[in-house]
Amino acid sequence: MATGDTYSLACTQYHHLMEGRGMVRVATRDEFVKDPTIVHKGFEAPPRTLTLYPDFKYDGYKWGMAIDVNSCIGCNACVVGCQSENNIPVIGKEQVLRGREMHWIRVDTYYSGETQDPETYFQPVPCMQCENAPCEVVCPVGATVHSHEGLNDMVYNRCVGTRYCSNNCPYKVRRFNYLLYQDFDTPSLKLGRNPDVTVRSRGVMEKCTYCVQRINAAKIDSEKAGRKIADGEIKTACQQTCPADAIVFGDLNDPKSRVAQLQAEERNYSILADLNTRPRTTYLAAVRNVNPEIGE
Amino acid sequence: MATSRHQPVYGLMAEFEDPNQLVAAAHRAREAGYRRMDAYSPLPIEELHEAIGFHDTKLPLIVLIGGLVGCLSGYLLQFWVSTMAYPLNVGGKPLHSWPAFIPVTFECTILGAALAAVLGMLALNGLPQPYHPVFNVARFALASRNRFFLCIEARDKKFELAETRRFLEALEPREVTVVAD
Amino acid sequence: MPDQHAHDYEDPLAAGNIGMGSSDVIAPGHTFGSVTDKISSIVLTQRTSIGWYLGFLTAGSLAILLLISLAYLSVKGIGIWGNNIPVGWAFDITNFVWWIGIGHAGTLISAILLLLKQSWRTSINRFAEAMTLFAVACAGIFPLFHTGRPWLAYWLLPYPNTMGVWPQFRSPLVWDVFAVSTYATVSALFWFVGLVPDLATLRDRSQSRAGRMIYGMLALGWRGSARHWYRYETAYLLLAGIATPLVVSVHTVVSFDFAIAIVPGWHTTIFPPYFVAGAIYSGFAMVLTLAIPIRAVYGLQDFITLRHLQNMAKVMLVTGLIVAYGYTVEAFIAWYGGNAYEGFMIWNRMTGPYAPFYWALITCNVIVPQVLWFRRVRTNVAALFMLSLIVNVGMWLERFIIIVTSLHRDFMPSAWGLYRATFWDYSTFIGTIGLFLTLLFLFVRFLPMISIFEMRTLVPEAKVEHEI
Repeated sequence: MATGDTYSLACTQYHHLMEGRGMVRVATRDEFVKDPTIVHKGFEAPPRTLTLYPDFKYDGYKWGMAIDVNSCIGCNACVVGCQSENNIPVIGKEQVLRGREMHWIRVDTYYSGETQDPETYFQPVPCMQCENAPCEVVCPVGATVHSHEGLNDMVYNRCVGTRYCSNNCPYKVRRFNYLLYQDFDTPSLKLGRNPDVTVRSRGVMEKCTYCVQRINAAKIDSEKAGRKIADGEIKTACQQTCPADAIVFGDLNDPKSRVAQLQAEERNYSILADLNTRPRTTYLAAVRNVNPEIGE
Repeated sequence: MATSRHQPVYGLMAEFEDPNQLVAAAHRAREAGYRRMDAYSPLPIEELHEAIGFHDTKLPLIVLIGGLVGCLSGYLLQFWVSTMAYPLNVGGKPLHSWPAFIPVTFECTILGAALAAVLGMLALNGLPQPYHPVFNVARFALASRNRFFLCIEARDKKFELAETRRFLEALEPREVTVVAD
Repeated sequence: MPDQHAHDYEDPLAAGNIGMGSSDVIAPGHTFGSVTDKISSIVLTQRTSIGWYLGFLTAGSLAILLLISLAYLSVKGIGIWGNNIPVGWAFDITNFVWWIGIGHAGTLISAILLLLKQSWRTSINRFAEAMTLFAVACAGIFPLFHTGRPWLAYWLLPYPNTMGVWPQFRSPLVWDVFAVSTYATVSALFWFVGLVPDLATLRDRSQSRAGRMIYGMLALGWRGSARHWYRYETAYLLLAGIATPLVVSVHTVVSFDFAIAIVPGWHTTIFPPYFVAGAIYSGFAMVLTLAIPIRAVYGLQDFITLRHLQNMAKVMLVTGLIVAYGYTVEAFIAWYGGNAYEGFMIWNRMTGPYAPFYWALITCNVIVPQVLWFRRVRTNVAALFMLSLIVNVGMWLERFIIIVTSLHRDFMPSAWGLYRATFWDYSTFIGTIGLFLTLLFLFVRFLPMISIFEMRTLVPEAKVEHEI
């Protein structure tokens, strides 16, 4: 029976087309075999040498991440894993309707092709940890700066909450505590939190840190043992939870690490590369083995 | 108007009704050799400072110095903070990001110059100075409305009460008053 | 022989040097005494009208609404507004830029028109500068309170501290801190310096002991000495010369908040001149909005004549055309430049969810003000008043469009969202209007709203003949 009422559905993504911006790069197997550089066509990044100023050197650990769009099934387990690891608050329907969800990693869904039968692509988007981070330049108090290992450090206790960094982030990976979303008082909730991660109060910006608490724990252990961190020793929460092994984190300065090898592949690309942000988080293009008879 | 010979005298003041008379009177006083005098008006009169022989101003130099101090302070602060005090990699930008330092430097220059202009002007003028002998003359209140005054100070070498009074009265003022100290 | 003064130029401040057509800038028949009495009597002797009390009470109530809004904001957080991700800035920064822009007219009238020797500035510069100060005060509320942790906003200032940290000087917000505080300081100094001789007038004419004491202290002992006037005029001219690049730089720095960012619709080199022209546009509109009622209520038509209103209308027309050029260039380059993000941005402005606001903006700022080409409109006081309100609305819409439409749909389509204002967004904004009006009512009641000593330079008896 029609009541004439309206009911709001809260969602975190309203627009599912890529608008030609190349978020997800797709090629068929045949296209890819014929020309492996096809995923970069039309989305060339400026060369690294195109700058008047000398680059900062990253000689120690150089953290990076590669996400395989081919493997991602869009299950959102990474989102849940990240939320648990990093004490991310649940804000409720009303706040999600306002557009204030706090997830540090999100899984974007893009459709292409016909409306009745579209192709669907999933793209997990954590912080890109850009070497030329646009967010860092505009922070008036220096609450977000770059570490010598390439992490974009978010300093909660310095943040005054101008939100300029979020405005300037082209990937929109930054989240702001518009209200006090955390419950500091209920005792049982305190048990559920990860003690290695700050619980953020209102008025500060937060974002994916490549699970810096796990990186630091591994560094401490490895320094005590007098060795370097082995590849695979640090798993970010999203990587750990992913059932499809789509997310790979590691040291790009170690040529034998999985992430360095993946980022060296032809399929490897970064999103919005023409902005010269030089993101450390890159993606591996989807290569579809299309059956010519059924066209899928 | 009788003056007690025991009351110290600051000077003699002549009151005029329009700026022309004041400028003319000031010229004549200067020609007659009087140096220690001042003219009072409710509006700035460009010819007047020359008429009383006053040219000095160190103010433009003070303002320039203020501007330069502001400029250097602003720039050096940013330079020191970004390259020495707490150097940080911010967005991959070089530590000495001098193009980005320009706006703050510019504003500090302006601030330095403006503060120098105002404080310099007040200091050179000796303001605030709530007490001054000329306020002892009741009609002097009109100096901030529509009357013009020329006051020859008793400190002047040529000042002599009767003689100077005769000189001033010859200029056809509305009134000549003794200013008590 | 005394020096000959050759008056080959017009100095509107020197006695006797009156600009061409001076009878237009002040009605004939005035003397030093009459201008003094007319202006100072509003403060000293006239009974405060019931209208003033009603206006002050209304404005005061809105200012209280502001206090409540800011208190609730500080206690609950920015979440009481409609801001979200991606729209991190909305009404807050729109209002900030709107108020700062309004302030620019005062400085332009005081400083730039002085350097250009325009004698028509004389009867409007005092309250225009007051308007600047109050507008900057209202503007300053927003950078302070739009932060998530406003009690720490002082961290944007460079001061030595135990943490060993400093502001990050590459950020346009830090440039804003310096620019806006310099602007507030210099405007306040300029305004106060201009007031000193008039405060002396009020001191000498006040009939109450309290008045004499307060005005006396503020007047700093000014006695109209020729020596003092000479340094005073030098300082005033130097301040005007300093304030001119300042007023251009302040709104340029404010435009850098957007132009330095990478957001499509923000990152464009047209912004500095476009913003400065827009600031003058909205500032003059506000001066007209204030001058027209004030001259009617206080009977100041002899001093703020039709010539003043016409000149301000002309300035509005010129700056309005520059702003229109800015809009055109923005749209043209978005198309011609071939940058897909920018091209989408302008298309989204014109046809997307906020399109009605965009077209309202074009109507208010570009289409309607073209009536100023007609002399009949420029000399019609009621029309000018209506138009000034329309331009003020249009300029608010311009900043809203720039901020919200650029943010709500930028690079990543998955992050696109919508912004909806809440009650507290509106209450804070209306509250600042209340604060502004409250300060204006106080100013009009307790200080001479027209510069008395500068008006004296315009009366016929101020002319000094050459020495023979």
